[in-house]
Amino acid sequence: MSLLAEKNTPTVAVQRRGFSEFALRLRVSGVLAFLFLVGLIFSLLTPQFFTVQNATAIASNAAILSIVAAAQAIVLLTRNVDVSVGSMMGFTAYLTADYASRHPNVGAELVLLALVIGLGLGMINGLLVAYGRVSSLIATLATMSLYRGFTYMYAHGQEVTSNKLPKWMLHSVDLRVWGIPALVIVCIFVVVLVAIFLRHYPIGRRIYAVGSNPLATVFYGLRIQRVVLLAYGLSGLLCGFAGLLYAARVGTVTVILASGWEMSSLAAAVIGGVSVTGGSGTVIGAALGALVLATIDNGLVLLGIPEFWRMFIQGSSIVAAAAVDVFIGARIRKSLQGQRFGRRAA
Amino acid sequence: MSESASSLTALRVAGVSKTYGVSRALADVSFDILRGRVHALLGENGAGKSTLVKIITGIVEADSGQIFVGSKAVHFRTPIEARIAGIAAVYQDPKLFAHLDVAENIFMGAYPTTLAGTVDRKTMYERAESALRQLGLALDPRSLIAGLSVAELQFVEIARALVADLQLLILDEPTSALTPAESGRLFKIIRTLRDKGKSVLLITHRLEEVEEIADDITVLRDGRHVATRPASEINRTALVQMMVGRPIETLFARRQSAGLGKEILRVEKLGLLGKFAEVSFSLRAGEIVGMAGLVGAGRSEIAQSLFGIRPPSTGRVYLNGRRVIPRDPNQMLRLGLAYLPEDRDSQGLILPESIVDNVTLPIVGRLARFGVLNRASERQIATSAIATYDVKATSVDQPVSSLSGGNRQKVAFAKWLATKPTALILDEPTHGIDIGSKAQVHRITIDLADSGLGVLLISSDLPELLAISDRILVIAEGRLVSEFSREEATQEKVMMAATQDVRGLAQ
Repeated sequence: MSLLAEKNTPTVAVQRRGFSEFALRLRVSGVLAFLFLVGLIFSLLTPQFFTVQNATAIASNAAILSIVAAAQAIVLLTRNVDVSVGSMMGFTAYLTADYASRHPNVGAELVLLALVIGLGLGMINGLLVAYGRVSSLIATLATMSLYRGFTYMYAHGQEVTSNKLPKWMLHSVDLRVWGIPALVIVCIFVVVLVAIFLRHYPIGRRIYAVGSNPLATVFYGLRIQRVVLLAYGLSGLLCGFAGLLYAARVGTVTVILASGWEMSSLAAAVIGGVSVTGGSGTVIGAALGALVLATIDNGLVLLGIPEFWRMFIQGSSIVAAAAVDVFIGARIRKSLQGQRFGRRAA
Repeated sequence: MSESASSLTALRVAGVSKTYGVSRALADVSFDILRGRVHALLGENGAGKSTLVKIITGIVEADSGQIFVGSKAVHFRTPIEARIAGIAAVYQDPKLFAHLDVAENIFMGAYPTTLAGTVDRKTMYERAESALRQLGLALDPRSLIAGLSVAELQFVEIARALVADLQLLILDEPTSALTPAESGRLFKIIRTLRDKGKSVLLITHRLEEVEEIADDITVLRDGRHVATRPASEINRTALVQMMVGRPIETLFARRQSAGLGKEILRVEKLGLLGKFAEVSFSLRAGEIVGMAGLVGAGRSEIAQSLFGIRPPSTGRVYLNGRRVIPRDPNQMLRLGLAYLPEDRDSQGLILPESIVDNVTLPIVGRLARFGVLNRASERQIATSAIATYDVKATSVDQPVSSLSGGNRQKVAFAKWLATKPTALILDEPTHGIDIGSKAQVHRITIDLADSGLGVLLISSDLPELLAISDRILVIAEGRLVSEFSREEATQEKVMMAATQDVRGLAQ
């Protein structure tokens, strides 16, 4: 009976899986497979790797980077880049920590302060790129120096030590819920929130559209500048929050906090399948990319492999992921403009 | 406007003008599109059709004039506002987002949303699917745009227009990427819309299509409104006359044929996969051969193929009696062929650089001794070039970006002629330059031919082609479809040949 009914319904849409589509959809599963592979290799090499305790350590290490990778991903989606993420974290971390050290009774409004500072820094980037029409790499390279430089000037070489920070701030990151670090839960929550925003809200889809085909946006009434400004604002907001978490986690806040994170966040996003040419990728992928990096880090430490290899692996995974990206991008361009006359004249 | 008239009018264009820099795209254009009619908008390349569509849909702002929907004056700032008012357009090239799925593209900018403000995916996919089904397209609305065929992309654009609460559908050359069967399907949809009382504004170059489906016809020429009539009142000949019938500009008299020399360039069955095929012609010393055709017919591709930018996939090329295989522009320049690209600002010149650096760029190799450039001889060449071509500049060190369009074109001439070619391909050399410079470019072209060069002139400006060519080749959809001698050629004949439907031939 049901079989008959199925036969009578008109055949709905043949499932089409062209190469480009396949490749685009494959990416997230690719990261998962890679993560599994890396985990497997380390498990075979050292017995210390595959333990609950170690898994918790990896997750804690990946947590903050996953937020910053998500921030980076949002900007990458619009076909821009944000290399000032580390400086925004450092700037926010230092200023909030300094504020907390002067106001011992400060409460949750510290979080608000971090968010506001981060948002402001991100908006500056966004204004430069969207309205100032400065290339995103140059603009954020400049603010990377500016924000860090300002932090140095403000700090006068001082650091904020953990004994000056409020107790609740330091304890909050050590909390556990059913054995899971609160830090991990908070970060998962934030990443999922961003993912929902990008996937389910019209403005989120516009971020994808702007990166996918900026020239087409005018035909859809999309204001590209607003979208780019928003993306940078969000990136700053997330970096501000990540900076505060990082300050709480390390306890002692120095002016060089989170330097080099632009590289890690870029690596995480790209490994996670976010396209550097815009329009493609997910923040979940970027967060998984952060997990991959943290796993590799952890494994190398357990195996006693020098720090140099960490940078080597980070660099080569960016190259590899970017190469895949270029390859897929070329195929997509071909499929979009390709055979306009092709099928006829050939 | 009386009440009854306004209730019959879907859209009124009233006195719309638009200028881009010095060139006038539209001048005081007025006409009405009636309810429940298919209205064809015709005109040559550059007549202002696409600009008008962009003004109607709010992509481009008119300098003056107004658009009325019904009896209400409207001023759309974005295509989404036009869409809300029931006007949707499908542009010539699909403008879609490759990384997003079909349904998202259909609803981009106007997503159905839930109470929580999120995209209502269920509704979105359902409505997308029903729109696609209406078009007879078995396409999963969840599949990504990347990987669809060109025809499918076009139908996705049309589906996008259909999901709006549509009063007027604008189609800008929708069939250029479609097979006859697909075009037939599209026409069926157009008729259905018309029967429901909606209006369709159809821009096309194929006069067969106009005869088949249009109820009213508006012709634009050089940005001016020529006529709006019911289709039943005009035949094809009259139509073509209206499209091309401007007086031949007296600025350039027809050229007296010079004596022709030996054959310089011979092309046999040249083809480039997916662009053009089976193109054969020859070019003699002292001859100007015009190449006519619509935008996208493949003329520039033929030229670029000969010049080695996109090497041909089939056919033979003989230059000065020797068989050559075009591989790259350097090689072709050495062999004596030069090419002035259509888009001189991005392909032909390096704008921020000085005149001297531009002029000598193709020959820096020859001017160098042991790898060091001889600046003095560079300046000498550039100085004599600006004198020869009458470039209005204060010095050869002036950046090219500071020159007018006509003077830039002259620098481009000087640049390529510094290579001392025997054959020259000019791709739309007078596009977008003022009338005075235009005449000078014609003068230069004729002088070059008289001095013994073979010139292949690609131009969409028919009076220009007719005035200075010795022969005219007509390209349509990647094929050489006709050849006219100077005596035979008229604007009407060339236009007819260029607009014919050669799909049967090509398949």
